[in-house]
Amino acid sequence: MENKRNLSAPADVDLIRTLSMGFGPSGCEDEIRVRIEDELRDLPIEMETDRMGNLIAKLSLCGEGEHPVRLMVSAHMDEVGFMVTDITEDGYLRFDTVGGIHESVLAGRKVTLGDEINRVRGVICSKAVHHKSKEERGKATPIDKLYIDIGASGREESEKYLSVGTFGTFDSEFVRFGQNERMVKSKALDDRMGCAAMIEVIRSLVGARPSVAAEIYFCFTVREEIGLSGAKTAAHAIAPDFALVLETTAVGDIADAKPAERVADVGRGGAVSLMDRSTVYDRPFVSFLLRVAKENGIAAQVKRYVSGGNDAGSIHKSGEGVRTAALSVPTRYLHSPACVASLDDYEAVRDLTEAVIRNFDILLSEESV
Amino acid sequence: MNLYTTIKSLCQVPAVSGREDAVRNVISEKIAPFVQEIRTDALGNLIAIKRGTREGERLLLCAHMDEIGFLVTVIEEDGRVRIAPVGGIRWTAVANSIVASEKGTLGVLVAEADAKPADYGAANFYVDLGVKSRREAERRVAIGDFLVCRPELVKLAGKRIAGRPLDDRVGCAVLLGIAEEMANAEFSGEIVYVFSVQEEVGCRGALPAAFALKPDFALCFDVTATGDVPGATAMACKLGDGAAVKIKDSSVICHTGVVDTLCRLAKEKGIAHQREILLRGGTDTSSMQLAGGGTRAGALSIPTRYIHSGTEMCDLGDVEACIKLGAAFVAFTLGK
Repeated sequence: MENKRNLSAPADVDLIRTLSMGFGPSGCEDEIRVRIEDELRDLPIEMETDRMGNLIAKLSLCGEGEHPVRLMVSAHMDEVGFMVTDITEDGYLRFDTVGGIHESVLAGRKVTLGDEINRVRGVICSKAVHHKSKEERGKATPIDKLYIDIGASGREESEKYLSVGTFGTFDSEFVRFGQNERMVKSKALDDRMGCAAMIEVIRSLVGARPSVAAEIYFCFTVREEIGLSGAKTAAHAIAPDFALVLETTAVGDIADAKPAERVADVGRGGAVSLMDRSTVYDRPFVSFLLRVAKENGIAAQVKRYVSGGNDAGSIHKSGEGVRTAALSVPTRYLHSPACVASLDDYEAVRDLTEAVIRNFDILLSEESV
Repeated sequence: MNLYTTIKSLCQVPAVSGREDAVRNVISEKIAPFVQEIRTDALGNLIAIKRGTREGERLLLCAHMDEIGFLVTVIEEDGRVRIAPVGGIRWTAVANSIVASEKGTLGVLVAEADAKPADYGAANFYVDLGVKSRREAERRVAIGDFLVCRPELVKLAGKRIAGRPLDDRVGCAVLLGIAEEMANAEFSGEIVYVFSVQEEVGCRGALPAAFALKPDFALCFDVTATGDVPGATAMACKLGDGAAVKIKDSSVICHTGVVDTLCRLAKEKGIAHQREILLRGGTDTSSMQLAGGGTRAGALSIPTRYIHSGTEMCDLGDVEACIKLGAAFVAFTLGK
């Protein structure tokens, strides 16, 4: 297969860290978008932010006068988080989750609340264990019995820093660990790893631009976690022929999972989806992904369990229909303050994305037969 | 067109949601003599167009090609195959069925011996291919292969037929029947026959098809449940009582103009019909109605017993009524 590149470049861990540590619950993606724009600003690529807040970077790889196909590559900028719903007389905050966070990962966690300018830190609490009834002790505390403590003395002080409707995220360190520090732990790896991979792919493509009869639309989408809504409008506007969604996927390679419950394994490469709750993926495109991986020596695995959903669910049904595939970094403990992933898998997703773009003409020529 | 043979030939080709290629080829061949143009869109919807002699409105007729089934997710050490459901599987109704892959590999879909019917689900079901090891299994199926309950169709008493997947090959047969009736008819505008993909996983295929075609009217043909079996939820619809004019299901409230026109035409022409309200279940009608700027959408349903089980049952009289009433609707709507 032509258009090979040096695929052994180490992951830009600082980039993953910078993006993951950013504040970006669904609907409040501005800080993440600015950080991404900062990374792309000096590159020869057209950038545009649409009305919803999606950042779309367009890279044309075709020659003059060619009729290109459109490939949308997307990753979402937003992360799961919180919204303040009430402030109590004592200054505690009642809250709800933005996106799906299970109650069992809430109590005792540190959070950051605020907007682009003002930030306060807090802790999610429930009543002390010795005040809980026997029945309450055995269970995860439901969200209506949890509150956030920002150390304020009363409502008046809390209202100085924030108000009902203020958003928040987990407050968590970015840590490298494991053998050769090849594992990372952070909040929001879902889907800042996808965003980072896109940035690295863009850098490499503009550095050694291949000639492919395609226009690539790199979309950094908003509001995935609350119902795939950013990707819906982005795809409608772009009207792509193909879409490749870069994501994280739950794994199941954990201690208690039965073999049949293992979605994918950390360390075994990018996970290619066949079907999930939102999408049945395009078969020829999926086969192409797996073939490109094999021919370029990039680790890839098939996601084996039908679970979850992602922006593909909006994209493939948009406009007149879009042929869609998804490629994910297998990630443990998603939607928690401590997501865990392997840099090897991140690099595999990044490299496979780039290899797919560089070899896209092959898919197109096979399709036209 | 012999209705029974047509339905049988459509049922014989497996086509799980997202994998409709094989049945699309069969339908494409069958409808070709009755239309001027045939194409397939990005998601795989088959779109066949019959143009009238004068300019006019566009009427979209839709039936879905896909059926419920299973996806191979894991092959275990001893050759046992674990699966995930594609579409709304009723596990108690498919237990101990023979399943077949697209390549023709057969197996038995069974529940783990200690699973209680109330707990049936993907977690405690597996496919027994009759093999002794993973290696042997991997020669027959691969992760990502799709399986269906083995197709079969038989004639019962009178006009009753039983087998699968009547949902919705019987609707596809209705579209073919209408196409045949309209082949030499005089009308204005155009009839677009859409054989849609991925209905069973959430009415996905019809949405981009209707978006692209921007029809003035849309009429969907799908199966509907009946209230005429012991223990059924109260429902006025009966097998053999004629074409069911959909008023509503859980995904759509049909356009009153379309509903009234269908009922009036049925009365005028003496076509057996009944009014249908399906409390649980959706159809492509909803996607047609909501695509783009919206469409006046309705549906004619084929009453069907035991939907989404290993064996579904229809009455050919109802299917014939749907063809007649569907064709009458086309002639009326595009005859002006």
